[in-house]
Amino acid sequence: MTALGRWFAERWITVASPAALLLGWEWASATGVLRAVFFPRPSTILAHLRDLALDGTLWGHTAPTLARIGWSFSLAAVLGVTIGLAMGLWRRLREGLDPVFAVIYPIPSVLFLPLVSFMVPAGEIALVVTSAVTSFFLIAFTTTHGVRQIDRLVVEAATHYGARGWRLFATVLLPGALPFIFTGLRLGLGFSLIVVVAVEIVSASRGLGALLWLSWQVLKVEDMYATFFVIALLGALSSYGLAALRARLLPWVPDVGDR
Amino acid sequence: MGVVVPAAVLVLWELCSRLALISPRYFPAPTTIGWVLVDRFVAGDLGSDLVVTLTRLAFAFAIAAVPAIPLGLLMGIARPVRDLVEPYLAFIFPVPKITLLPFLLIILGVGEPAFVLTGGSSAFFQIVISTLAGVQTMDPRLLDVGHNYGAHGLRLFWKVILPAALPAIFTGLRLGLGLALVTLVAVEFIAAKSGLGHLVFRHWQMLSTPEMYAAFALVGALGLVLTRGLRALQARVLTWQEDIGV
Amino acid sequence: MPTRDPKVLVNEVSVTFESHGRSVVALERISLQAQAGEFLCIVGPSGSGKSTLLRVLAGLLRQSAGEVRIQADHPGTPLTAMVFQEHALLPWRTVRDNVTFGLENRGVGRSEREARAREMLAMVGLARFAQHYPHQLSGGMKQRVGIARALANDPEVLLMDEPLAALDAQTRTIMQEELLRIWASLGKTVVYVTHSLEEALLLGDRVVLLTARPGRVSEIYPVDLGRPRGLEVRASPAYGALLEKIWSRLREEVVRAIADDRGSDSEKLGA
Repeated sequence: MTALGRWFAERWITVASPAALLLGWEWASATGVLRAVFFPRPSTILAHLRDLALDGTLWGHTAPTLARIGWSFSLAAVLGVTIGLAMGLWRRLREGLDPVFAVIYPIPSVLFLPLVSFMVPAGEIALVVTSAVTSFFLIAFTTTHGVRQIDRLVVEAATHYGARGWRLFATVLLPGALPFIFTGLRLGLGFSLIVVVAVEIVSASRGLGALLWLSWQVLKVEDMYATFFVIALLGALSSYGLAALRARLLPWVPDVGDR
Repeated sequence: MGVVVPAAVLVLWELCSRLALISPRYFPAPTTIGWVLVDRFVAGDLGSDLVVTLTRLAFAFAIAAVPAIPLGLLMGIARPVRDLVEPYLAFIFPVPKITLLPFLLIILGVGEPAFVLTGGSSAFFQIVISTLAGVQTMDPRLLDVGHNYGAHGLRLFWKVILPAALPAIFTGLRLGLGLALVTLVAVEFIAAKSGLGHLVFRHWQMLSTPEMYAAFALVGALGLVLTRGLRALQARVLTWQEDIGV
Repeated sequence: MPTRDPKVLVNEVSVTFESHGRSVVALERISLQAQAGEFLCIVGPSGSGKSTLLRVLAGLLRQSAGEVRIQADHPGTPLTAMVFQEHALLPWRTVRDNVTFGLENRGVGRSEREARAREMLAMVGLARFAQHYPHQLSGGMKQRVGIARALANDPEVLLMDEPLAALDAQTRTIMQEELLRIWASLGKTVVYVTHSLEEALLLGDRVVLLTARPGRVSEIYPVDLGRPRGLEVRASPAYGALLEKIWSRLREEVVRAIADDRGSDSEKLGA
């Protein structure tokens, strides 16, 4: 049996179960067992999705969401890694910032929207900055942890073999922290997606979150499901796509379960 | 050092606000916020919204934890169950749980059940995943020890597998509670007419900023107390665990 | 006895640590020497400060008193290179890049680095694994990389901190053979810390015995078992006699160290 065949044989339930669910759903919705107004048929949803895609509405809402994710994640990543590294290296800084971070981190990002809108001109910039907040903290946390968990003995050995100052940072501290930084970035990207969508629900007129909420308000249920599906797709891409990348970029890390 | 920085920030803020270096409308002085906080609490309305949020949180957490732990354990022990459930987990996990809200609002109407379920959904997935990880990453030699010393089936489960997975389960509960709070407050912000999240929204719309900041601070304090408290509880209950970590 | 300056001179070195507001004397007025090309072994019970002494020699730790001098016969090469107990390789670098790490930091050019790495890896028998990552290697192999890294640096003095302690007995025996062979061909001055008296007698020209904490030099024993030496020396009566003689002293110190531990235990329990 081929490798692919073997893979399927072991996991047929994994593939069959959702397939069976979809078929069951289709049937139940068509025959009225499930109320179509709550659970429209998957085939109808697919049709709506296709329509949205064809008439450009889908892209008109996906593009702004992607842009916001891109900007807010970049902002969070650059600031988060920089400050995270600084906190990892300088104890004073870490002790000073830790309590501030600990208080701010558990607050849902959407709540920052009012604050941010006071500080920054309302509109796209406010949305992007708000979406960056939680990701920033997450990335900073994991980066700091990444620096601090480096085996002291390895650092000592490296110093003994002549690595000081900048060299020590570039050849030891940074690579040593990299697996954690990467995990932080992966989680941070996921969070950016979450917050962008949430913020769009609250105060945007375009974007996938806005589309979802709009569809709800006019009770276009099929469009709701279609939008949900696109959001889920983005989520899966960011989460699993980066995980696959990790094996390429960090070849020295032995395989760990990725959740 | 840990106290100095926040204190310094607050003092700086107070000065800048009082001296109108920053707009006192948008950034009222911390003392003003503090007064409003106390005042509203005494008057009772801040307290009642706090209770509303806490009640929702309790329900959301319970609804999430009660099915999630057994499911996670079952998935860890029985491969067929895991294969069955995993695709759904993998699909929903990276999705922003807030997007479930409009669907629940349609099915259950605009009201508490929809809010609570949305809040609980983020906790649910976290707890299942953590519990599953707890079973999967336990030292397999412990199973050998169990078998060798006469523990099989149900006894093996109660005496070996469950305790071994307990730290991870606890961590999952802790993280799940935090997630439930975050999602719940976001739901309140967006769609509810009561609760701390809604307070922030309402006062934002009315630009009554001291009240807004007061509610905001309360949310932060709540989050802090819950996470720190649970972590302390975890250290107490699971005294054999060496390092809690994050 | 040739009257040359010793390669390594340790003169009245003391090391005191501050821990939780108390002072702990790890080493007390240690004096010893090593001649060029000598293989000097240091043994002692746990807590005798053997590793501390080595780290002072490596410049990783500052002594509280006394002086350390290492003769620099070849300017441009580092004074010491240490082989650490838990290999301490950089997990994100390949075997080859780990070996050249010290050379890189000293600004040695690429082609020379690669040549040196090839040579050293061949010497420790890991030529085929140059592109592997540490996590893909066994404990013994990782330790050999550590040795290659130290040798590649071409130090005046080679320091080894219980390098074989973390290996299983069979690998350890093989590695001891390897060390004898490598040292015989390179002729480096080596200061070697070990728990195992058997190992010290197998490898060393002289054995320094340290006392339980605070570590002092109890005695220095010459090891007259001939060179070149192989594993078969362990069967010789001279080896057995030396082992017997030194062990009786070492045993006293080990017992004393254990008693110390027990003493501090009952302190904690308030017995």
